[in-house]
Amino acid sequence: MAEGGKMAAGSGKMAAEAAVGQVVLPGDVLLLPARPGHDAEQLPLGSEAAPRGRLLCGPGLRRCAAGLLVTKCGLLRHRQPGGGGGAAAGGAYWVDSQQKRYVPVKGDQVIGIVTARAGDVFRLDVGGSEQASLSYLAFEGATKRNRPNVQVGDLIYGQFLVANKDMEPEMVCIDSSGKASGMGVIGQDGFLFKVSLGLIRKLLAPKCEIIQELSQLYPFELVLGMNGRIWVKAKTVQQTLIIVNILEACEYMTSEQRKQALAKLSGN
Amino acid sequence: MRETPLSNCERRFLLRAVREGKRLDGRQCYDYRNVRISFGPDRGCCVVELGRTRVLGQVSCELVPPKPNRATEGILFFNLELSPMAAPGFEPGRQSELLVKLNRLIERCLRNSKCIDTESLCVVAGEKVWQIRVDLHLLNHDGNIIDAASIAAIVALCHFRRPDVSVQGEEVTVYSPEERDPVPLSIHHMPICVSFAFFQQGTYLLVDPSEREERVMDGLLVIAMNKHREICTIQSSGGIMLVMDQVLRCSKITAVKVAEITELIQKALENDQKVRKEGGKFGFAESIPNQKITAFKMESAAVDTNNVEEQAEEIITKADPPSEVFATPILHAPGTAQIGEGIENSWEDLEESEREEEVEEEGESEAATSECQRMETEDTSTISKDKDEPIVLSDSEEEEVVILEPQEVPNKTRTQTTSKQENTSKKTFNKRRRKKRAAR
Amino acid sequence: MEPGGAAMAAAGCCLRPFSCERGLLSRPDGSAAFVQGDTSVLAGLYGPAEVRGSKESPERATLEVLLRPKVGLPGVGERSREQLLRQTCEAVVLGALHPRTAITLVLQVLSDAGSLLSCCLNAACMGLLDAGLPLSALFCGVTCALDAQGAIVLDPTTRQEQEARAVLTFAIDSTEKKVLMATTRGSCSVEEMQQCLVAAQRAADTIFQFYRDSACRRYSKS
Repeated sequence: MAEGGKMAAGSGKMAAEAAVGQVVLPGDVLLLPARPGHDAEQLPLGSEAAPRGRLLCGPGLRRCAAGLLVTKCGLLRHRQPGGGGGAAAGGAYWVDSQQKRYVPVKGDQVIGIVTARAGDVFRLDVGGSEQASLSYLAFEGATKRNRPNVQVGDLIYGQFLVANKDMEPEMVCIDSSGKASGMGVIGQDGFLFKVSLGLIRKLLAPKCEIIQELSQLYPFELVLGMNGRIWVKAKTVQQTLIIVNILEACEYMTSEQRKQALAKLSGN
Repeated sequence: MRETPLSNCERRFLLRAVREGKRLDGRQCYDYRNVRISFGPDRGCCVVELGRTRVLGQVSCELVPPKPNRATEGILFFNLELSPMAAPGFEPGRQSELLVKLNRLIERCLRNSKCIDTESLCVVAGEKVWQIRVDLHLLNHDGNIIDAASIAAIVALCHFRRPDVSVQGEEVTVYSPEERDPVPLSIHHMPICVSFAFFQQGTYLLVDPSEREERVMDGLLVIAMNKHREICTIQSSGGIMLVMDQVLRCSKITAVKVAEITELIQKALENDQKVRKEGGKFGFAESIPNQKITAFKMESAAVDTNNVEEQAEEIITKADPPSEVFATPILHAPGTAQIGEGIENSWEDLEESEREEEVEEEGESEAATSECQRMETEDTSTISKDKDEPIVLSDSEEEEVVILEPQEVPNKTRTQTTSKQENTSKKTFNKRRRKKRAAR
Repeated sequence: MEPGGAAMAAAGCCLRPFSCERGLLSRPDGSAAFVQGDTSVLAGLYGPAEVRGSKESPERATLEVLLRPKVGLPGVGERSREQLLRQTCEAVVLGALHPRTAITLVLQVLSDAGSLLSCCLNAACMGLLDAGLPLSALFCGVTCALDAQGAIVLDPTTRQEQEARAVLTFAIDSTEKKVLMATTRGSCSVEEMQQCLVAAQRAADTIFQFYRDSACRRYSKS
């Protein structure tokens, strides 16, 4: 809460760099640093001599005349240019927000529930505003003769091939080389539950502490969908339920509270 | 909106968990979820939380003539609403089967069990009685609506105070809360519903099912009971056949749960009463937990309104003065009046320019049609721009005119224009257009 | 009835204690309870979700606002408030980012002790914020009452509203403090209206700071 008072009420205008890690609200404007060419005093250093890399404007931000307009409430994040290594040469700003409703994004890997089989496609509920379609040929090794065995109500882990605001989302269960690479129908056992999208992103982050700590308890299988759905399967019902409850509770727990809870569990 | 479908694996897992005596939230089969009761600032207003299921209850009263066959009894009216915010599947204003079933059960539980002394609600026999209305709103659906609703209803009724009345001869006086303390309703007993979900034809049972458990259950048994162990209503739905022992076991469990809940209700009512008496803080603001990070409070904040007058004055002086033009009313016929005759017709200006530059006008008129019809796409607007340049009459030009033709000119003209020479056809076309415009 | 009510009445330029809780309902995509003194409103929001045929728009998200009274069924008064609320929300929601979807905002009155419409506006904004819908700005609602002497009472109670000569409610946006919606009841001069507006704009600063502080607290653990 302490850092909250820094920005004036109402419309906040501040330099984007200074706001990183702070809470931003819709309507705030983030001012971008002037381009090196405009600033005479700043000497172009090495890599900066080339025109500045592209600046990626991530979720929750929009370009406006003064800089970046915040459209979602959350913490402002920034990735240094080049840090990601490669294609996106510029830095990326985005807002890390807690929300529940999923909006399909191309390339996202999600868990869908089959709601219908219509001709050549399956209809999948992915939690978005519209059902996604999945061709029965979009499975590894599927042919016209050899159809995958998918029933209504089954879970499917796949990724979006087409996802934009104007079109029906389309999913596939193969990567660009035609391999399943982990996607496809999820097993009949295990349990599915839903958490906020913010928590999913946290869990999917590389070297996520929560997953590492959990994996020390006992072996279990876990599928995380970007749409907030998690599928868990452990050896017993009890073990599955423990994982479910810990992950659900992670939403509002600090890491210390979580460690305490896990210590209690592993003690038993 | 569509409800999220239940996947096969969830169903299978839930049923397996039931067989093993495990529940999602770690409860035992016979455990009830936590009940939390908070009161609003008004009398007869409460929010009951049963786990994450949440119901708002509000009691109100009104003086009405009694029903003819019950001249000395007050009227009790219950209305449960499934608010669209409670679940994505609930639509506003739709009397779903579930809603009808729940409302009927609430009525049977509370009205037909005669828990409220309706005779004490009579003011003047046959003329004026109190109608007590209980509005219940489901705010969040996480299973077991009926238990939460029945608790909310009885809590709201216990919390409610109706205005005091006195009858002197024919005259009925209703006193405001300042004049005379409002009086509580006389409540004989407090019936509370307890739900049981059955699985596998009654082999397994769960008390207080959650929403996901409700979706996979085979049957539901609801028992309403008061703390004196009197059954007020009992309903089994879902078409399962229960053995007698099961029902007896359920009624025993109900007795225990009802005793617990009744105690909780009484404690909550006492607490609220105490706070009100002592003049402490009460109402929904007090029920918002302080320690949660999702909650936030602010004490009464002063707003500096010292020089608003000056600032407002400044704004007004800066603003343009309102126009002083007043149109005189026009009387077209006796009994009618109108002010002004609308804005001037802009089409006429076009007509004038047309006469001067017969050929060049094409572009402008096209732009004008696009404005008025709003059907023209960007392509046509670029065409019309091109036409501002000096134009040499050619076949291609003529074609463009013909493209527009069907929109503007009836088919008859089309046959005429094609039969004539190019140049003249254009003129007639323009004339036709002008006539049409004049007619408008 | 209200503790400290007399003190508040003396200093009319005071906002009652505010509190809010976000994400308190498990089912909706966004929810918030907003309390202003003894007035409280609960907002629940679904969206961007599936839209029903006739309401579908290829250009933008269809925004629907439902206001549920505590007693009885929604009437004309609720309908007109729904309109005002919907138009205010439409002004800030970037609906073009989610065409062919529906956003349903349900507001439930929990208790009405004056300034109900402004409390609805604040609850609606908190609900939109909690659901994470793209917004171009925030908005807040401020109700001003003009008493018989022409003094401004901010965030009036029911009694103050009844005694007032005019009651004005404004929705003010967070970026430029512009008026998104204004509705008045009773009679007041143009000057008085401007004065109320200026007072409302100043109160808006306090409310937006409240929004920001509550958001900071919300994200303090992540």
